[in-house]
Amino acid sequence: MALLEVSALSVSYGRVAALTDVSLRVQEGEIVTVLGANGAGKSTLLKAILGAVPVKGGGIAFADTDLTRAAPHKRMGAGLVLVPEGRRILISLTVEENLLLGAHMRRDTAAIRREMDAIYGRFSNLAERRHMLASCLSGGEQQMLAIGRAMMAKPRLMMLDEPSLGLSPLFVEKLFDLICELNRDGLSVLLVEQNTGKALKVAHAATVLELGRVTMDGDPKALAADPRLQDAYLGGAGGH
Amino acid sequence: MVAQQIVNGLMLGAIYMLVAVAFTLAIGVLNFLNFSLPGLFMAGGMLAFGLMKAGWPFLLAAAGALAAAAFISLLVERFAYRPMQGGDPEVPLVSSLGFLVLLENLMLVQFGSDQQAFPALLPDLNLRLGGLVIGYAQLASLLLSLGLVAVLSFVLAKTAAGRRIRTVAESRETALLMGIDIARLVPQLFVASAALAALAGILFAVNYQQVSPFMGEGVGFKGVAAMIVGGMGSIWGAVLGGLLIGLAEVVSISFIGADVVNITVYGLLLLILIVRPQGLMGRAPSREKL
Ligand SMILES: Nc1ncnc2c1ncn2[C@@H]1O[C@H](COP(=O)(O)OP(=O)(O)O)[C@@H](O)[C@H]1O
Ligand SMILES: [Mg+2]
Repeated sequence: MALLEVSALSVSYGRVAALTDVSLRVQEGEIVTVLGANGAGKSTLLKAILGAVPVKGGGIAFADTDLTRAAPHKRMGAGLVLVPEGRRILISLTVEENLLLGAHMRRDTAAIRREMDAIYGRFSNLAERRHMLASCLSGGEQQMLAIGRAMMAKPRLMMLDEPSLGLSPLFVEKLFDLICELNRDGLSVLLVEQNTGKALKVAHAATVLELGRVTMDGDPKALAADPRLQDAYLGGAGGH
Repeated sequence: MVAQQIVNGLMLGAIYMLVAVAFTLAIGVLNFLNFSLPGLFMAGGMLAFGLMKAGWPFLLAAAGALAAAAFISLLVERFAYRPMQGGDPEVPLVSSLGFLVLLENLMLVQFGSDQQAFPALLPDLNLRLGGLVIGYAQLASLLLSLGLVAVLSFVLAKTAAGRRIRTVAESRETALLMGIDIARLVPQLFVASAALAALAGILFAVNYQQVSPFMGEGVGFKGVAAMIVGGMGSIWGAVLGGLLIGLAEVVSISFIGADVVNITVYGLLLLILIVRPQGLMGRAPSREKL
């Protein structure tokens, strides 16, 4: 069975349907990307998988456990984590406290310390500012902190909501390298992106949402070549 | 003599400090001006008194009063705070005020409206230091209050629980996305702030040897004032504000007179707020939010 199995999921905000009958699966070790225009329901999908918005119908199973009604902390305990849209760094906490917050449900202090040092080794900018308030970081550094914070939860599946938004090209490059590297080390990834071209390049599978429904899914290479997707998402960026 | 007044002022200030810290927890984390706290202060003192009258030893009576206050605070959370989430912030404020009135009237029915004498615990044990007379009960309550606040501040600053609380204080929505169990954390905070307020009530009863159903009102006002002067949401601000008000009160009673005490105390607070609107330890209002 897949690591994450979303079946016929529906979510509404009041009377407004945000997701209708959305199905999607992530196999262990895969990067799956979810594409779609603004307002398509991508963030809602990730939040529903995390349990932060209530579902109206359908189901969510993770690691062979039905989590459809479980609270977010239960799902995170099972190995799900979200790097939220807009990063949501805690600006009243220091850089280090943000990282530790990611591990707030864990008790293995020694391992937490080791993993935090590994993150500092990877991101020297964070190491230098570890005792400063996180508000002093640049956008790119904040994104690294948000991902570091998610890594501190020791997830099996990391969901990222538009992580490249607002980053300089250099940081976007670094970000995608990082995602691929984490994936090679065994982390499964569910990636929501506006940067359609890059996302399709790194993904093993892709799903396109339009107005809360799945309109295309399958092999990312086939999707990248699909004229409908070309028109909708790739055209604007490339410029015909 | 001045030194004695300072000691007395610090003792009184320690009680205001506990109440101010209770208020600051509720405001800083839950964004809730919880007016049931003066009621819980009073319930702490009155219930300890009632249980001792029923023959319980002091420590057991104090524990019983604290447990009862914690339970009442859970009711406040359930019926005044939780149903009003997402609505006007004024509504839970008003319903918590309702709890204050309810508690006062329950105690009034049970014990009458008169002031009652709280038994002296360590009547003749005084520490004499030079010309100073310090009761052991007073000294113990001062140390207990300061110790408790220091522990609280350590927990907030250095532990995983503290980081969770500060995350909820900054953004509940982010806290939810970080997997913080808000539904469990909020009642825990209600219990913690109730315990602080009720403990202050018990210490007040022990030190001043009197209780009444209305003992929470004046102290509650001064607790709120201490919190504001210290800087809302700052624990050490609440400590400073509480001690300052206690000192100002005692010193002005003995040097200016009891009938003008509220004028001098609140006048001082007003002056501080004119000079430093964010309070003594509060951060200047940030412009980033706009
Ligand atoms: N908290 C909310 N309350 C009401 N409607 C919302 C809320 N969040 C999102 N929506 C609506 O749900 C739809 C999907 O939004 P979202 O999941 O944020 O899309 P995306 O992330 O793809 O841009 C949009 O129409 C949006 O306006
Ligand atoms: Mg979104």
